Amino acid sequence: MMELTTNHFLFLSAALFVIGLMGVLVRRNLIIMFMCVELMMNAVNLSLVAFARETSTMYGEGFVLFTIAVAAAEAAVGLAIILALSRRSYSVDADEFHALYD
Amino acid sequence: MAWNALFFYLLSIISVLAAIGMVAVRNPVHSAIFLVLTLFNTAGIFVMLGAEFLAAAQVIVYAGAVLVLMLFFLMLIDPEKLPERGGGHPVQRIVGPLLGVILFLEVAAAIANRATSGTTGNATPENIAFVGGSTQAIGNLLFTQYLLPFEVVSLVLLIGVVGAIVLALPERLGERLATISLGHPRGTDLALPEGPATAAPITRADQQATGALEATREIILVRDPDLYTGVGGRTSDVGEGTTQR
Repeated sequence: MMELTTNHFLFLSAALFVIGLMGVLVRRNLIIMFMCVELMMNAVNLSLVAFARETSTMYGEGFVLFTIAVAAAEAAVGLAIILALSRRSYSVDADEFHALYD
Repeated sequence: MAWNALFFYLLSIISVLAAIGMVAVRNPVHSAIFLVLTLFNTAGIFVMLGAEFLAAAQVIVYAGAVLVLMLFFLMLIDPEKLPERGGGHPVQRIVGPLLGVILFLEVAAAIANRATSGTTGNATPENIAFVGGSTQAIGNLLFTQYLLPFEVVSLVLLIGVVGAIVLALPERLGERLATISLGHPRGTDLALPEGPATAAPITRADQQATGALEATREIILVRDPDLYTGVGGRTSDVGEGTTQR
């Protein structure tokens, strides 16, 4: 087994990010698209921590903490929007949404 | 170090497979469970990177709170409104993975060819251990240099919660609260349908048709008592629409 470098973590982060991106592009269920966005954020968090370790600073980890907090707020608001849309007898289908007004 | 690498490969393979499962599986609840698995494995990788506090925050916030929130919303949404998998445009299903693979190759090339430059900080493992651990080091950073962003984040969370509550309220209750709290002048926020000004009080048939009578009556009373006199232009066939608005 070779020694772990930052690149290992970065490759993992890239793989997770790309999988999340594919999910956002392919799936139509809004909630699953939302989960994919969370996965992409998580991948970016991973690369931030990896860079923070590589450069021997704490800024990356502090940034990740903020990202987690903002992602929690974003999840609450986004899911509430999805719920409000579904209440208006629309479906939870990204192709069906054309506008948020009315 | 070999054990380290072994753990890394184990965690990363599980997390990537779980992420693929999350995207590919049909049932949204299963997707959520797969996402939890991915996040747990990523938390393990955070621990490997020396960020124990972030791993704990990840498990608590993401895997605990956000995913439970998602599951709740999944239960709240009518399952018939969830679209089936693979129904989208065929171009979407082909181009999406293609773009993903291209992006991954680009990023992989960039990672493989990257060169590290610049100076490194002083948060070496020895210094972090001297401070008392990664949690203490993050606390030092947050409460000195990043104090203002930290407070702003608390405000963002508060606004997010309030916004989520307002958005997810049932519409009638939300309008009622908005009408009361914003103190709208009479009738300014009430778009009445066009029609002849015939008096049409709410009848027993109307009540049986709409179902939610007491609540709607109260809302109308809160907004504009004149509606009950019939001068607002209500007609009997738009009675349901009027009571809903």
